[in-house]
Amino acid sequence: MHKKLFYLLLSVCLLYPGRHLTAQTAASFEKYHTPSEVQQLLTQLSGLANTKLHQIAVSPGRASVSVLEIGTNLDDAPAVFVGANFEGNVPLATEGALYLAQMLLDSTQYTQNLKWYIMPQPNPDASKDYFAVIKTGAATNLYPVNNDADEATGEDGPEDLNGDGLITQMRVKDPEGEYVVSSNDPRILEKADANIGERGIYKLYTEGIDNDKDGAYNEDGTGGINVGIAFPHLFPYNNAEAGRYSGETPEVYGILRFIFDRPEIAMVYTLGTSNFCLVPPKGGRKGGANLQSIRIPGRYARMLNADPSKTYTMDEVMAIIKEQMPGAELTPSMVAGMLGLGAAVNPLEEDLVFYNALSDDYKEYLKSKNFSTETLDPTPAKDGSFELWAYYHLGVPSFSMNLFSVPKIKEEKAEKGDVLSTDEVEKMSSEDFIAVGQEKINGFLKANNAPEKLNAERIIKMMEGGDFTPKQMVEMLKKSPKKEKEGKPSEKDKTLLAYSDKELGGKGFVNWSKVDHPTLGEVEVGGFAPYIETTPKAELIDSLAKTQLPWLLQLTRQIPKIAIESEKITDLGAGIYKLEIVVANNGKLPYPISIGVRNSQPAPVVLILAGEIELLEGKKRTPIGPIGANQVKKFTWLVKADRNQKVTASLESAVFTDVVKQFNIGG
Amino acid sequence: MKRSIFSIIAIFSLALSVWATGEGKIEVPLRFDRYYNYEEVVKAMEVLHAAYPHLTQLESLGESEEGRKIYVLKINNSKTGAELEKPGVWVDGNIHGNEIQAGEVCLYYANMLLTKYGTNEKITKVVDRNVHYIVPVVNVDGRAHFFEDAHTPSSSRSIRVPKDDDNDGLFDEDAPDDLDGDRNICQMRIKDPNGAYKADPEDPRILVRVKPGEKGEYTLLGSEGIDNDGDGRFNEDAEGYLDPNRNWGYHWMPPYVQRGAGNFPLSGVGLKATNDYVAKHPNIIMNFAFHNSGGMWLRVPSEKSIQIPASDIASYDVIGKEAIKITPGYVYMPSHDLYPTYGDTDGQFFFVFGSYALVGELFQNETQTYSEAKKTPATGEQAQGGRDNRNEQEREQLKFSDNVTQGELYKDWKPFKHPVYGDIEIGGWVKMSSRLPHPFMLPELVHRNASVVLLAADNTPEISMEVFEVKNMGKDLHKVRVRLKNEKGLASMTAQAVKDKLYSIDHLKVTGGKVIAGGKISNYRLDQVSYKEVKPEIQFFAMPGNSIAEYEFIIEGKGKVNFDYISTKAKNVNTSVTL
Repeated sequence: MHKKLFYLLLSVCLLYPGRHLTAQTAASFEKYHTPSEVQQLLTQLSGLANTKLHQIAVSPGRASVSVLEIGTNLDDAPAVFVGANFEGNVPLATEGALYLAQMLLDSTQYTQNLKWYIMPQPNPDASKDYFAVIKTGAATNLYPVNNDADEATGEDGPEDLNGDGLITQMRVKDPEGEYVVSSNDPRILEKADANIGERGIYKLYTEGIDNDKDGAYNEDGTGGINVGIAFPHLFPYNNAEAGRYSGETPEVYGILRFIFDRPEIAMVYTLGTSNFCLVPPKGGRKGGANLQSIRIPGRYARMLNADPSKTYTMDEVMAIIKEQMPGAELTPSMVAGMLGLGAAVNPLEEDLVFYNALSDDYKEYLKSKNFSTETLDPTPAKDGSFELWAYYHLGVPSFSMNLFSVPKIKEEKAEKGDVLSTDEVEKMSSEDFIAVGQEKINGFLKANNAPEKLNAERIIKMMEGGDFTPKQMVEMLKKSPKKEKEGKPSEKDKTLLAYSDKELGGKGFVNWSKVDHPTLGEVEVGGFAPYIETTPKAELIDSLAKTQLPWLLQLTRQIPKIAIESEKITDLGAGIYKLEIVVANNGKLPYPISIGVRNSQPAPVVLILAGEIELLEGKKRTPIGPIGANQVKKFTWLVKADRNQKVTASLESAVFTDVVKQFNIGG
Repeated sequence: MKRSIFSIIAIFSLALSVWATGEGKIEVPLRFDRYYNYEEVVKAMEVLHAAYPHLTQLESLGESEEGRKIYVLKINNSKTGAELEKPGVWVDGNIHGNEIQAGEVCLYYANMLLTKYGTNEKITKVVDRNVHYIVPVVNVDGRAHFFEDAHTPSSSRSIRVPKDDDNDGLFDEDAPDDLDGDRNICQMRIKDPNGAYKADPEDPRILVRVKPGEKGEYTLLGSEGIDNDGDGRFNEDAEGYLDPNRNWGYHWMPPYVQRGAGNFPLSGVGLKATNDYVAKHPNIIMNFAFHNSGGMWLRVPSEKSIQIPASDIASYDVIGKEAIKITPGYVYMPSHDLYPTYGDTDGQFFFVFGSYALVGELFQNETQTYSEAKKTPATGEQAQGGRDNRNEQEREQLKFSDNVTQGELYKDWKPFKHPVYGDIEIGGWVKMSSRLPHPFMLPELVHRNASVVLLAADNTPEISMEVFEVKNMGKDLHKVRVRLKNEKGLASMTAQAVKDKLYSIDHLKVTGGKVIAGGKISNYRLDQVSYKEVKPEIQFFAMPGNSIAEYEFIIEGKGKVNFDYISTKAKNVNTSVTL
């Protein structure tokens, strides 16, 4: 029924194209759309007023990568870029992008002063897999890659040996096998631990035959490059699925060019598997530039009369350089570039402030929607991902969202002392937490993989001392690396199995079944089904999108709003005036954010004076420089003017809508 | 309005430049006592192609930002085999728009190969055995502007992608200005009793710093120009800056890490086209990228954090260690010893395309004339290029300009009325100085450097193969032994390419009989063979430079058995035996 209505609406739209159309091309979200359906839908939506479809690349599999622009009527407005499903194996993300487009077309609330670019399907080749007769879960496109460097390309991919339409795993009894059946769950294999007297029984392979008879199984399937890990920030040179360099595959190159051609993009959203709305981009990576601890390379140290063996803060380095080169105009970014300090690889402290604050807000938002976050954690953004690139290279706020995580199935409550959840603990005061008692605290710490040194006794002491709160503790635990014993069924496996059993009728795990293999003899095929982690049943699409996506609309309110707050003219006599203009950022985010200051990528905002005046001090064009959230900056000129001169002050930038103010001097 | 003035000036200077460089007809053999502007380079390639239509193809591999064509002259003798079968040698130049003699080296090399083909034995062999891809000018806009517009010896280096260098919202709005209209961007100085400089007592054209307490005469005002954008700074936002040798994909880093990187890898459209052309020619195994200056042969890697296999360094040494003898004074070293770079051409060629990439930094300004420093061993500050040494060098350079080039390299200071500064003087080294040899010295430079390319081309791998032993093992079973030889200095495939599985690894394939076992003969005298476990009929291995490899196959069957050595870059060879 819904489907019929959908087509009816579509045909109505096609009959009456043009300006009068409102957003009635309502797409239905009760199924996952195939890549060609997505493309059709985009074409239809682009028939609506104020929209346009940009074809920005053609994939190696000859499919279009398209961006839907909403707000073609706006020519001087900031824009939000939304990309979804870069890895191609998260069909829910594509639906989310379409859903978001639909929301924007349904109401003008977020499109009056804001342009949107929506790219639901940047990896159309890989996106076909979910709809294929045999699903592999692969993220790679059809870029020809000879993975095993033999004489043929793409000649040894997987095969569906048990005929279930899924590529899973094969286990084979083998004297050299490394795996044993887990004692916790017979479906799971774990690495044998010789230290406790175990000896491996099984070898594990992906499902398939050795097509090229080279002794390796499924080592050279079709394609390709994973668009989702092929962007230039931390490009993973060691991962063959990223290609040889960023932009090798046309989707990535086309996206990079499209975005850099549009300096008005002030915010970037990514729908996929990470969630910067909930968990800020992770830090703690070694090897990046640390501007608080700088070693000055020898050749510069000699020049600057500095000590190459000492570490300096950026402020100290700036002071040293200024002493040697008085009058030089310096920014920390310039200095970092000159000294060859390298790239930033951790989110900057100042940026984590807004990421954390907004994460708290988002949690509140989800709570108000009764949306459970008792799920598996979102995946950290991958090296070479779009969302990391948007933050580190574009220098704009980059928020990502995974619309679905596998829910943690509540375990039957243990009789003695329930284990506290992180959500519960986070909200507790120190006193309340201490009051639950040592035993329960230790249980909580153990459940959350706390380091051994961190026991209840110590924590209680710290909390009594007042320098540690339950909230800080939870944050610390979340950030600390999850200790997982190699090969043991992880919490994640347990959760996935429980989810498969209880929510999917067991379909999330293919039970091991015997298959006769041409070269390996008797094998058993089974394992987790592809897509179990990312792709819920289609009937959930609508509610998942409806609950979470409005947050991305609300977040746009954070975009800086830079305005001329006030002007003040002081008559100094003899036709000379002092002009003061106060510029304000009335938004909730600084402009640029800290990484944007570091990489100088966001376009500057320039304060421009025009009129029949002579400037004795100050410039006609003044870049206002970085301006914090809810901050003002004052600019001063000394002006010589005849009485009653009209002066125009304007704030211009390639990002924001220009602001113009007129006033009289001496009037 | 400003724009239309600009275009009028552009048209005018175009006309002027045609007149200025019109140094006679361009014909084969090409002359090398002159420089060619962009149109003339194209013309030179056209006449070479017209004179040798059977040996050459002239194609445009793409267009630049300003729509100029980037031409590649392909030299291939189709009678000796198809293009992609032969080891490819890529020679490019002038990726930095101002480094123009690199283009002449490329043209000279093409001219040498073609005009001496059939008469010089070595050249004939190279032309018949290799295919050459010669791109004299990669940065076509840069070269065109270098000739047409006023420049310093170092400007017009960039790709013409505007960048807001001074972060004021305007793009390329404050380049230096040719105030005196002489088509050079020289220096400005102003008389200033409180200035930090005075005239050198030995040569008043040179300015030297005053000692503490000493009275000054001049203040240096920087490059010729005005403050076009009224921001209080001069010449701070010139063309670009997008450095075409920092914009390639391999280990690219963004502009805040390395100036000039461009917004994303291969954002320059001409560079992207060049890259895509190379990608379509997997036979390229040796490539040269010519630059100026300093006299260097630079090999990968360009960052200390990257290591390359020892056997690849050995291959490089075959060329590099001879190159420094062909070009006396040059040094041969890894690129990172000069300074680390990200996203440069040679990284892309070596790590992405699997080619031995060498950069030639042409010309050593300091060696063109007498140098006291060379006579007396330098000590202390002098050794580090100290002030006294620099002044001494400049004095000699000026004498060289005066006495050997009849003053063409340096403009004496002349008064000028500057719109802001008032009475100033303009003077200094001209555009065609410093990094470029004077045309009278060009023929030697292009010949020596082209000879290095020829040496490398001659060292591209050449595989031969023979069956050297056949033993009957009873019934229809034979032990067949095959020997492969690479008599050239470069491997058939870099070890890095094998390691990174860049493309199909070179392989020896046996057809026509059933191969029961096969593998490398690790010790012939002890009769030791390492048999390959599966698929013994295909053996994957590259042939290092100047190497021999022996393989054994135990073959069941009768009749003709074929052995094919298949290589992406070296020419395939085959042999057979009848059992």
